[in-house]
Amino acid sequence: MSDATPAFAPLPRLRLTPAFLIGATLVGLHVVVGLLTLIWTPYDPTAMTGGRLAPPSLAHWAGTDRLGRDLFTEIMIGARIALSVGIGAVAIAAAIGVTVGLLAAFASRAVDDVLAATLDILIAFPTLLLAMLIVAASDGASLGTAILAIGIAASSIVARLTRILARRVLAMDYITAARVSGTGWLGIVRIHVLPNIWPTLIVNFALQFGLAVIAEASLSYLGLGAPPPNASWGRLLQEAQATVYTAPFGAIAPGIALVSLVIGLNLFADGLRDVADPTRRRR
Amino acid sequence: MLIAAAVLFLLLRLLPGDPANALVSVGADPEQIEAARRQVGSDLPIFAQFVRYLGQLASFDLGASFVSGVPVLEEIGRRLTLTLPLTALAFTGAILIALPLGILAAVKRDRWYGSLISVISQLGVAIPVFWIGILLVTAFAVKLRLFPSSGFPTSGWWRDPLAALHQLALPILTIALVMSASLIRYVRSATLDVIGSDYLRTARALGAGYGEALVRHGIRNGAVPVISILGIELASTLLGAVVVERVFSLPGLGSMLLSGIEQRDYPSVQGVLFISTLLVLLVGFAADLVQRLVDPRLRGPSGARP
Amino acid sequence: MTASPVRSALKPLSVLKATTTATLLLMGLAPAFAAESGPDATINVGSLYEPQNLDNTAGAGQGINEAFNGNVYEALFRLNDDGTVSPSLVKDFKVSEDGLTYTFTLQPGVTFHSGDPLTSADVKWSIERVTSSDSKSSRKNSLKPIASIETPDEATVIIKLSSRSISLPYNLSYVWVINDKAKDLQSTEDGTGPYALEGWQRGSQLAVKRFDKYWGPKPENGEVVFKYFTEATALNNALLTGAVDVITSVQSPDSLAQFKDNPDFTVAEGKSTTKLLLAYNDRVAPFDNVKVRKALARAVDDKKLLEAVWGEYGTLIGSFVPPTDPWYVDLTKTDAYDPESAKALLAEAGYPDGFTFTIDTPNYDPHPIAAQFLQGELAKVGVKVEINVITANEWYTKIYKAHDFQATLQEHVNHRDIVFYGNPDFYWGYNNPKVVDLIKASEEAKTVDEQTEKLKEANIQIAEDAASNWLYLYPQIVVSKKSVTGYPLNGLNSQFFAYGIKKAE
Repeated sequence: MSDATPAFAPLPRLRLTPAFLIGATLVGLHVVVGLLTLIWTPYDPTAMTGGRLAPPSLAHWAGTDRLGRDLFTEIMIGARIALSVGIGAVAIAAAIGVTVGLLAAFASRAVDDVLAATLDILIAFPTLLLAMLIVAASDGASLGTAILAIGIAASSIVARLTRILARRVLAMDYITAARVSGTGWLGIVRIHVLPNIWPTLIVNFALQFGLAVIAEASLSYLGLGAPPPNASWGRLLQEAQATVYTAPFGAIAPGIALVSLVIGLNLFADGLRDVADPTRRRR
Repeated sequence: MLIAAAVLFLLLRLLPGDPANALVSVGADPEQIEAARRQVGSDLPIFAQFVRYLGQLASFDLGASFVSGVPVLEEIGRRLTLTLPLTALAFTGAILIALPLGILAAVKRDRWYGSLISVISQLGVAIPVFWIGILLVTAFAVKLRLFPSSGFPTSGWWRDPLAALHQLALPILTIALVMSASLIRYVRSATLDVIGSDYLRTARALGAGYGEALVRHGIRNGAVPVISILGIELASTLLGAVVVERVFSLPGLGSMLLSGIEQRDYPSVQGVLFISTLLVLLVGFAADLVQRLVDPRLRGPSGARP
Repeated sequence: MTASPVRSALKPLSVLKATTTATLLLMGLAPAFAAESGPDATINVGSLYEPQNLDNTAGAGQGINEAFNGNVYEALFRLNDDGTVSPSLVKDFKVSEDGLTYTFTLQPGVTFHSGDPLTSADVKWSIERVTSSDSKSSRKNSLKPIASIETPDEATVIIKLSSRSISLPYNLSYVWVINDKAKDLQSTEDGTGPYALEGWQRGSQLAVKRFDKYWGPKPENGEVVFKYFTEATALNNALLTGAVDVITSVQSPDSLAQFKDNPDFTVAEGKSTTKLLLAYNDRVAPFDNVKVRKALARAVDDKKLLEAVWGEYGTLIGSFVPPTDPWYVDLTKTDAYDPESAKALLAEAGYPDGFTFTIDTPNYDPHPIAAQFLQGELAKVGVKVEINVITANEWYTKIYKAHDFQATLQEHVNHRDIVFYGNPDFYWGYNNPKVVDLIKASEEAKTVDEQTEKLKEANIQIAEDAASNWLYLYPQIVVSKKSVTGYPLNGLNSQFFAYGIKKAE
């Protein structure tokens, strides 16, 4: 491994920008809450413990839904669901996307053209619609199906980005030099391509994570995500929409949770990017 | 294209459900359900259905909707008169917002307004589209009564473009906001790449001013990834406006696809996908062309190959 | 009316006007035809139910009844908004002593929208269209007793039956009378109604305009535009911002708050025929056991569910029959909410520790919330519920056709649909020979009283058997601008007669 550009160095000279700190805190909060729900929640999430659409109170911090269930409990569980969707979907998207993207970048012109055209077509399909098709094809909606669908749908975007970024690197003069000096293509990927493209990919993964969370919310909003009684934020929003005039808090609280997680992820990734950027580190 | 058509055809047939279901209602007996299946051809073996489909494709006939009986091509044409201008306008708006703000956010990232732009764009990326749409409707249509809350003039664009624009103002704004929020991030990211790059420092060492160096060298280099993102965004908005179409009750291409999938109306689904695939290839080709124009290094026939 | 587009862009209200004018210009109509109010007014009706096509025998959906029944197409009889049936295109009719021969005399001077006069041949053709082997009409079965249709002269139709059919006039109210020369009925029309189709923009709206050669009384307005929405909130906003004048049925009680306290709007409550039910597959264990079904009926607090979904609106029912049907009996006391006796019944049936079953749940409101409620209620008596969410299309394949389910939630919209319990092959598989006989006999009854008596008996038996778990009857709420009056309230079978709607200054 070359000393000049280690592939995945620990983050040296970590510059903790406020944005990064806020992002890390927000994400950390959601992770803690999500983990906490595994062992404890204020109420039983399916128990009808309060009145219909009760406003926020000491007993019910975020009020109750139409069935009198505690919304705060459901939102907490929603964090766990959102995080598992994000992690699962991004892992699937990264595994498929980076592999296909690198293959395309290194493949012969004909193979590259076919792959590129296929990716173009797949990308025409917005993540959400592709996910809807996959959910429709599987036997009924479930959390696993939603994760798989969102991951597969997002992988085409990752693949296309990887291919473009890798091709840009491969066009550089030092690649020619490396090739002349006898480095194999795996070596080129490890030493030159990945270190150069991964900061941009990380930014994209964080975006995809956020998008996956939004996509799951949208799927649930359309009734195609995790089936009830899974407390997905999208389902909470959808159920609250009908009552938005009489109980606006039910539509606001899950929205705040959703937005705060996605923002946290994005800030976190931005901070990460500013630190991890190899071009900045070389300065 | 042919392979894509075949794969698509088979995938659609794998979906559980039957297009005939859209034609029957509670109370129908088995005999009526059979009649519905005969009408849409779902009683034939898959292979026979496929041969029929290929025959149609060869004569560029996309068939007629199982559900409404209207020729698919005609329906797509009508929906495109809404979708294309909506996409183009929202896209233009997004670029106009995102380019200057994204570059500014990168160059002035240590100033408060640079950070503010980043924060706002982050907020924009994080809010689901339907929420933005609902907020805009509540504010501008229900409270202020400035714009209509939904719908599209039956007369289309050409009889009264201003009225049409007025009617579409909120959906255009919704898409433009969402799109520019993510674009700003990419522009900022690409600009940061350029700022930290060797050639920029070289140019400055050779005596060029910061602004001049950024414009002369930066835009060329930074534009390549941004253009590819633009291509993706443009292509996916063609169909991806489906949620916005739902919020604003617009008869666009995305909602045609959505109801087609729900009803298993294969001719409509296949038709929309076929046409949008063509459009996407066109957009991709254009993006590629622009990239090559901007970055001469991409022009060589084998420059990027090992 | 003649505001220039440039100026009107600044003023939303006049834009609406300009847009309507442009529409009419495009449709080739004089702009003077459209008026904001008065006898030539355009009425904008907001609805969630866009028809899929324009032919009610080709799977057009409930939206076509709303837009076309009584407006564009008429039938020999009309189902009025109060549930009674009265002659429409029939001027006079006679029934033979044995009840097997009906002789109809048609209204004179009726013309189709194409200009052709109405003749008995058109009526024969129209009925045979519904009974033909290609028909997908859900009413086909109810017309089975028709043995032959004769047309001795242009104004007379004789229908001969193979068995008595007391509801023949009622059933004929679903059979549109169409010009027998009409073609392409999926996207055009040729009816006799007070309105003719003006234009249909799929995914958006359907416009009908007053037909000047209509044989009956002149409509109170000049044009009706049905505007379609996929989303209830968008529909409410359209009424709030003045884009529509009236909403045919409001689907959420909480959105009503913004109209109820607003002097610009009228909120009116009619009577609906839409029932929400948990239908068991009565063929499979444990639901083939009456005791289990009764136990589950007693374990669910319907009142609490109705309040959760509809607040103060809606009606509790103890069976499938709504109070507007003549054979209604108050059966809410049969298997009323009583979790303790539910547990006892379950133990008696051999399930002292309960059991687990899956509810196939359509993915649209209110089914998911109702499923979650049932999950909570049944857990209290030890019965575990799994929720499987499916689309409407899958529902037809899996449940309606294949009967591959344990229990499902479904809303049933039709009027007088108790007859479904007389069909052992229906998706829920309820089979009580006594009920089958009663329902068959009721149709062959000699008098309406006899029919009512038999159906009442069937109704009580079905409730006693807890054939399904009837949760509640939807409310039917119509909201309009204050200036708009004269619309139907009950909307039986989704009909929405538009000819009486007036728009004041």
